[in-house]
Amino acid sequence: MITIQVLTRDGADVSVQGEEGTSLMEALRDGGIDELLAQCGGQCSCATCHVVVDPAFASNLPSMSDDEDDLLDSSDHRQPTSRLSCQIPVTPELNGIRVAVAAEG
Amino acid sequence: MNSVNPAITPEGALPDNVPQDRVFDIDLFKLDQVEDGYQEAMMKLQKPEIPSIIWTPRNGGHWIVTRAQAVQEVLQNPDPFSSQVIVLPKEAGEKYDFIPTRLDPPEHKAYRKVINNVLDPRQMRNIEDSVRQTSIDLIEAFAAKGKCDFTTEYAEQFPVRVFMAMVDLPLSDAPILMEFAGQILRPAGTTPAEMAVSLERAIKGFYDYLDPILNERRGKDGDDMISRIINSEINGEPMIHSEALNIIANLLLAGLDTVVSFLSFVMIFLGRNPDHVKQLRDDPSMIPRAAEELLRRFPIVADARMVARDTEYEGVTLKKGDMIQVPTVYSGLDESLNDDPWTVDFHRRRPLHNTFGDGPHRCAGMHLARMEIAITLKEWIARIPEFRLGSNAKPEYASGMVATVKCVPLEWDV
Repeated sequence: MITIQVLTRDGADVSVQGEEGTSLMEALRDGGIDELLAQCGGQCSCATCHVVVDPAFASNLPSMSDDEDDLLDSSDHRQPTSRLSCQIPVTPELNGIRVAVAAEG
Repeated sequence: MNSVNPAITPEGALPDNVPQDRVFDIDLFKLDQVEDGYQEAMMKLQKPEIPSIIWTPRNGGHWIVTRAQAVQEVLQNPDPFSSQVIVLPKEAGEKYDFIPTRLDPPEHKAYRKVINNVLDPRQMRNIEDSVRQTSIDLIEAFAAKGKCDFTTEYAEQFPVRVFMAMVDLPLSDAPILMEFAGQILRPAGTTPAEMAVSLERAIKGFYDYLDPILNERRGKDGDDMISRIINSEINGEPMIHSEALNIIANLLLAGLDTVVSFLSFVMIFLGRNPDHVKQLRDDPSMIPRAAEELLRRFPIVADARMVARDTEYEGVTLKKGDMIQVPTVYSGLDESLNDDPWTVDFHRRRPLHNTFGDGPHRCAGMHLARMEIAITLKEWIARIPEFRLGSNAKPEYASGMVATVKCVPLEWDV
């Protein structure tokens, strides 16, 4: 299992475990982070699984598709290391990664 | 007349590249057994003994893909599966010149950006409150009556009011625009030539209607969707008038027919399944994800692509110019994509579907559609917490590029 450190919207630090082969979005939801709506269920089509990744880990992530980039552009809270968590596979390199759930909208 | 059995076609009627064992007699506009439900009728073609791509001699002759994987492959690959013609029958589809739906990459991208800019999630957040109020007003108009004809009193009203406000056009013009949209998606006529006439007339109707409106809004600072599009740039150049017409007609076509139809499918289901309604009533925070599961279960769109060059695909030779129908129903309901696909499970972990399409042309209005569906469920259940399909209900289904259902009486205790 891969450990993921999550900063929730109300400022709580939560640790969740992710299984290799799932997505970061699934790991967060399975870990009880319900505020991450992930409305579309992981199809890179709704932008409601937006997280901001600790810059120290950002370079370990797969590159971004045009669809993901466009969807993030429509957020008022995009940061340089923003990602849609449904597009990030859980891999051993992610162990200890820190992500913050982005503000809604 | 339709049959899922191999069709007997007149001698010599088959193109040379179509093997007899791929031939089925399917009329997309008069689907066999559609009276039992559109998705149910379509899914009779998805079974092990039926290949993943088949041919029907109806509507000018065209291929149909019947599996999720093939739906995705065709939609994700503009080469060789071009959007040069996307409407069936092809003879009618060649009259269809709306953009960006009929453009391929790379030309497509700049036009798509213009419509993304008016339909992205940020824009939807800006209009959410007024969309919600529109829904509430409609529901409160009949909530005390204990019954309604959902199709005419809500589904044909709500997305249309929302959309007419977004484009700043009078609601009184909606019926004629909806008639044009219907004649493109389900054109009148029994032959491809007759359908081409119906479709061309409807397209001209859109353009004649829009032409003076575009002229009036060009160069002004209106913030409605039409003004924003006509005053935007394509690759650094001002939008030309004919292309603005093509784009705005495309938005009207997409905005006036699809959610209208989808909402009726949803309410038939919920009217027959009080346990599902109870789940949403007990925990309204489930609604957005429930909406996604309903999108998976009730796909209604089935447009087409044109083969741009001779291509070997799934054991057959596709010839340049051949048409392929791509019914999205074959994705969400394919058990290779979703276990137990007929069951609506609001807790489904990943409701995978292509109800909004796939690839470069994935529905630009999907954020609007999702918002309209979620708002409808939330505001409806808040005011009409328990309801049922009327005892004498006989929903009338129709197939086409967008499937529809009408006659959805709902009842509740007051």
